[in-house]
Amino acid sequence: MGVVLKAPFPRRQRPLTVARNTFRHLFLDSARAWVRNLGATGPALGSMTLLLLLSGLVGLTAYTIQRLAATQATDAAILHVYLRDDATAADVAALRARLGADPRVAGVGYTTKAAALQHAQSRPGMSDLAGAADDNPFPASVDVRVRSVSDVGAVASTVGTNPPVDPILPTSYNPTASDRIQKALLVVGIAGGTFLLLLGFVAVAVTANSIRTTIMARQSEVTIMELVGARRWMVRGPFLVEGAMTGGVAGLVAGLITLVAGVTVVAAGRSTFAQIAPGVDAGVCLLAAALILLAGLVLGSAASLYSVHRQLEA
Amino acid sequence: MCARLVILAGVPALVELVGATRQYGEFVALDDIHLALRPGEMAFLVGPSGAGKTTLLKLINREIRPTSGEVWIDGLPAHLLRTGRVADLRRRVGVVYQDYKLLPKLTALENVAFGLQVSDLGASDEEVHDRALDALEAVGLGDRANAFPHELSGGQQQRVAIARAVVVQPSVLVADEPTGNLDLETAWQVMKLLEHIARFGTTVLIATHNLDIVRRMQRRVLTLVDGRLVRDQPAGRVGRLAWASS
Repeated sequence: MGVVLKAPFPRRQRPLTVARNTFRHLFLDSARAWVRNLGATGPALGSMTLLLLLSGLVGLTAYTIQRLAATQATDAAILHVYLRDDATAADVAALRARLGADPRVAGVGYTTKAAALQHAQSRPGMSDLAGAADDNPFPASVDVRVRSVSDVGAVASTVGTNPPVDPILPTSYNPTASDRIQKALLVVGIAGGTFLLLLGFVAVAVTANSIRTTIMARQSEVTIMELVGARRWMVRGPFLVEGAMTGGVAGLVAGLITLVAGVTVVAAGRSTFAQIAPGVDAGVCLLAAALILLAGLVLGSAASLYSVHRQLEA
Repeated sequence: MCARLVILAGVPALVELVGATRQYGEFVALDDIHLALRPGEMAFLVGPSGAGKTTLLKLINREIRPTSGEVWIDGLPAHLLRTGRVADLRRRVGVVYQDYKLLPKLTALENVAFGLQVSDLGASDEEVHDRALDALEAVGLGDRANAFPHELSGGQQQRVAIARAVVVQPSVLVADEPTGNLDLETAWQVMKLLEHIARFGTTVLIATHNLDIVRRMQRRVLTLVDGRLVRDQPAGRVGRLAWASS
């Protein structure tokens, strides 16, 4: 006993030392603690991964549906007036002229029987049907681009009695299909959103609880840190980083699964998928994975922040 | 926020309580305490259980705020400090507890180093190691640096706790029953160590029930009874202890 404590050391390269110590305390020590407590954070990690994975899949589905809806909205404004096989060129020209003069019509085009067949052969599932018949079963059509979707029905009703128009299936207009699809989309959207909200609540609650357990397990360490004058951010920071790590790892796993699943499905069913999921490609899957990772980080940090606030501020 | 210096016999006070009162609901734990301690002064805080000793130490360490009155520590107004600035005060006040509060998974050296690492991010690894070892040597445990707490006796653990408290070189050291778990001989050694620390300018305030040691040390004695400071006996004039003899 009796040795005098040394005076403080000269502070060389202090900013570098502060940066290194801060990094070590906030990230390396937190990473070590996170790995050590993996058993305790396992449930949080699992539920958050599940949430993010489902979010990713639902997100991709929602994107697909949105693109489909946009395509449908564009298609809905185009009215195909199907022509009889024996329609004369003069009748067709008269019909096109009459439709072109209608102020509700933006433009009028024409599809020959051969073009209709070619178009059908390029559509998945239709190629077999197109090749099954000896004759070309697809009619020629006058394609009317209507300015407003709400006017499509009115324009369709004016062409039904024209001589060149097919009396059995005069137009492509289907008044109930659009409504049914819109309603179905709404129901699916509400159900999916509610499910994700519920799952999100569970994931945040489980993560917050796991952080709370971690804080309680390290209460003595926290107490000592506070007593020796550690700053608030030094006490709370590592717990926030651990929460962010939980969310980040969950996001990474869920993002990778989404990316791999998305890319695989796109690659495997390119011809089919191009119609079923228009606009979904590897880039969109990659973006979805990045968003899932970001969401994981934000969720994990938020859950941790909530828990740290409740546990330590109290 | 302004600093405050109270001059006691030509020396500014490091610890000053001005009319400090602390209530828990209707219960008055401390009542209108006026007290000043000089740098390097060692004082004992005595009194029966529930007299307010621990509450007073908590006021000094800003674990709690006074309900009314002022608490000044090394020029800092502890009664006004916001939570975000408490760390500034804590670095000036070392604390030693009866139950040591050591981290069981860290060695003695790591426990001391931990206190330094989290309170001073500017300390390099080499500095932390050397200062922690110096502190352990100062408390006579340089040869047990790599021992874990469970491998140390109670007295040794308390000395490690003292080393952790002083390694950041605080202006004030408060100890709450530091000898409560120790036998008389070990308790005496710990007290001599605290006296040694005070000799180098640190103000040391010790709450204790061990009246034998208080009498032997012949240091200033502050007696609390029912939250009131009933007696302030200067060093070298400790005879009868008010509450013990009543």
